[in-house]
Amino acid sequence: MSVEIRIERHTNNGRVSPVGAFDLLHAGAVERAVEDAEPRLDGCESIDIDLAHLERIDGSGAALLARFFDRLDAAGRHPRLVEAGNPEAERLIAVYRRSRADRMPAATPRSGLLARIGQTAAEFPATVNSALDFMGRCVIAVPRAIAMPRSVDWRSLPKLLQEIGADALPVACAANLAVGVIIGFIGVSQLGRFGAVAYVPELVVVAHFRELGPLVTAIVVAGRSGAGLASEIATMQVSEEIDALRSMGFDPVRWLVVPRCLALVTVVPLLTWLGDMLALGGGLLATTAITAMPPRAYVLATMDAITPAHFFLGLVKSPFLALVIGVVACGQGLATRGGAAAVGARTTTAVVLAIFSVIVISAVFTSFYAALGL
Amino acid sequence: MIPPTPHIAVADLRVGWGSRVLMEHVNFEVERGTTFAILGGSGCGKSTLLRHLIGLERPQAGRIEIDGVGEPHRYAGAPHFGVLFQSGALFSSLTLEENLLLPLTTWTSVRGATALELARAKLDLVGLGPFAEHLPGEISGGMRKRAGIARALMLEPNLLFFDEPSAGLDPITAVELDQLIVTLSRDFGITIVIVTHELPSIFLVVKDCIVLDKAAKGIVARGDPRTLRDQSTIPFVHSFFTRSSPAHSKRQGV
Repeated sequence: MSVEIRIERHTNNGRVSPVGAFDLLHAGAVERAVEDAEPRLDGCESIDIDLAHLERIDGSGAALLARFFDRLDAAGRHPRLVEAGNPEAERLIAVYRRSRADRMPAATPRSGLLARIGQTAAEFPATVNSALDFMGRCVIAVPRAIAMPRSVDWRSLPKLLQEIGADALPVACAANLAVGVIIGFIGVSQLGRFGAVAYVPELVVVAHFRELGPLVTAIVVAGRSGAGLASEIATMQVSEEIDALRSMGFDPVRWLVVPRCLALVTVVPLLTWLGDMLALGGGLLATTAITAMPPRAYVLATMDAITPAHFFLGLVKSPFLALVIGVVACGQGLATRGGAAAVGARTTTAVVLAIFSVIVISAVFTSFYAALGL
Repeated sequence: MIPPTPHIAVADLRVGWGSRVLMEHVNFEVERGTTFAILGGSGCGKSTLLRHLIGLERPQAGRIEIDGVGEPHRYAGAPHFGVLFQSGALFSSLTLEENLLLPLTTWTSVRGATALELARAKLDLVGLGPFAEHLPGEISGGMRKRAGIARALMLEPNLLFFDEPSAGLDPITAVELDQLIVTLSRDFGITIVIVTHELPSIFLVVKDCIVLDKAAKGIVARGDPRTLRDQSTIPFVHSFFTRSSPAHSKRQGV
């Protein structure tokens, strides 16, 4: 079905007759017809609009015609509807013209990229301040939780231990086993050049117990449970559950953050210890697979290499790494404002920040041990 | 003379989950161009019935026809109806304008300046033209609902479903929304189905309704809400429209 706008001119007067189907299906053709018609009306002082030849019109066609007539009006061409042309079309066009006339004052335009960078920089001190404020509230929450045990949601603790610990066991163990295998292969290829394959078990013990075990386990937990905790609390925040807690006199930090951090601090060292055992197995598999070292010799060398220092220096880190995961994830969750998109954004930030914090804290511990000669 | 086909026809519908039946033997028709309401107390299944009407749930038994087409065919292409969900259900990562452009650019060949023009026109229609580039999180609940209506209108449907349009709004905003519904029905000739229990809205915009009752597991009354208010002899219906307790209605002999 063709769409056109017929124009007749008599000196300074014009007559506009839209013809055809002015609907959503033909919106592109309608827009082109309008663009074609506008310049042909230059110089007209009054324009009669005859809607009698419209074969069909819907809201989209009416909206485009209303905009066309608005522009003619703004250009001082005084468009005027011919009486009894098409009452339905007149009514629809009038609704759209009226709604445009009812427009409220223009809103502030959205800021550009440079302005947003500036705004982020300006907000940085406040961000740091709120992060420190949250950490302070977490520190205060611990003695208060001990003094008022009923202010903590202890009933959620078993479920949290299950979700953060038991449910994460397969992936944490698999990751540590794989890292043990990698250390084993690297050890054999590098130490083997000096005929020192016998030191591979010690390398696996030292590297994994002291550094990689806590780090790998914490990264796995940060990615898995950190994301879960952050999105759960963020969803509670946007659905006003946190506000409801506050309105009932609960401190969300004590009610939500304390049990989650406690669960993490309890479970992550256990996962790390299990991961250490799996990594020893990984080293054993790799070494015995590509060298002539018998498994028994590997096990004996490993037992000689494990010292209380190696074992505990790694495990001491784990609760701190777990704590930082909990604080970052819960803090990001509680800082969420907005809707579903904000939940996703905060969850991503929580995971990135938690993994970065875990690496930094691990490096700080290593430097500290080195400075003390441990 | 052949009577006109109803816009919506529901025949012997049974709704529920598993062995639990929420309502059964539900039969009603909605005429074209009318504003029809599904009424009832909390938990009677109003919103569930709406979800069945728009094809989000499958009935346990019975048939729902829109424009004479049964449920399985309803989502074969662009939907012929629009829906306003309780919260507006705008996509929070998109601006209002982008929310409106989504159905238009998905289901039609309209693009570029024309698409923008149409989106702006719809936003103007609901009074949100100046907020086109705002995110849903930056506007009020009433504005989100109006933006939801604008989005529902983008494909020029001849049927609109509203789930609790006035819920949670202040009286002035609720009346503005009701007036918008009246405009859509009167000027655009759109058939409107509303799920609500807001009495002021019901009496302002609705011409025909059904009343659902949880205990009866189905429809207990049908007709003009004013007539039902003034003449119904069913205690639950009388209580619903007069905001009195069922016990009080029984004492009054209704």
